[in-house]
Amino acid sequence: MAVDIASRSESHPVQRYKVRTGMFAWLCHRLSGIAIVLYLVLHVWGLKSLSDRDAFNELIASYHAPIYKFGEFMLLVAIAYHALNGLRIVLIDFLGWSPNHKKLFWTLGAVAALIIVVGGYPSLYALFTYFTT
Amino acid sequence: MATYSKSGRSRAYNWFLHRITGTFLIFMLITHFWVQHYDSQLASVTHSVVAPGASPASSEAVQSAEQVAAGGLPEYPEAAVQAVRERRAAGLLPPQRPGEPEVTSYDVVMTRLADPVYAVLWKGFNILFLIVALHHGFYGIANILGDYIRNDMALAIARTLTWALALVLLVVGLYSVITAGWGIQTLS
Repeated sequence: MAVDIASRSESHPVQRYKVRTGMFAWLCHRLSGIAIVLYLVLHVWGLKSLSDRDAFNELIASYHAPIYKFGEFMLLVAIAYHALNGLRIVLIDFLGWSPNHKKLFWTLGAVAALIIVVGGYPSLYALFTYFTT
Repeated sequence: MATYSKSGRSRAYNWFLHRITGTFLIFMLITHFWVQHYDSQLASVTHSVVAPGASPASSEAVQSAEQVAAGGLPEYPEAAVQAVRERRAAGLLPPQRPGEPEVTSYDVVMTRLADPVYAVLWKGFNILFLIVALHHGFYGIANILGDYIRNDMALAIARTLTWALALVLLVVGLYSVITAGWGIQTLS
């Protein structure tokens, strides 16, 4: 996708890409997808502690450490993006919205940004107060 | 050029299914998130970093998980605290132990699981959610592997390992969801 053939030369044997909207969206979708699967593995594995009172309480306590607050926010970013870009892919594939795909990308991008700001506020606020008080 | 899928299965079917599971996941995730974080009785108060004994101004601002695990549990809304108190008074929850907060996360979750509606409806929902999420996630990973591994044998091995991991998680997840709350008496 969007391979800039003209820029390949003897001095640059490595293929270079011109990153356009569609490719940027695809790359972010792939990276966020991998991140979410890594989270899913940890999340499902952590469910094992549901059968052990002490292990469960320890796990929940550790989830409230600052590093997890940051992780929580990054998770929201990944999920909001992946969900809305996924929706965009579905709309393009099923409803043939491709002529509008760039406009759609930035519209849904704005929605994602709103979700990230509103939904991420508690995590960021917690981190902010933790480090400033 | 490596050959495309050698399996007899239609790739269009999987492609279609990936979009269907993705769409479903959006709605399931919203529900899951709502129940876990905004339901007034269940939600832990996550507006603060729970780290008792911490001196945030010090150089060791970020505590290790072990330090935090030594005592930091989230606070729960009054409705949840009240429900846990009632259940404990009725002898349906283990007594508070010395040095432990009155309401621990475990007590709150077990109180919720004691509700028959929750136990059946939400366990069913969680099982469905688990299956759809694992399928969507690991199908995506299998796709990515196919994009970068050009050797057919290596690809087959990598995909087998990937789906094996998904299967392990499915078993662990199913076991955890189904048996959660067992051994805790229900209010009759």
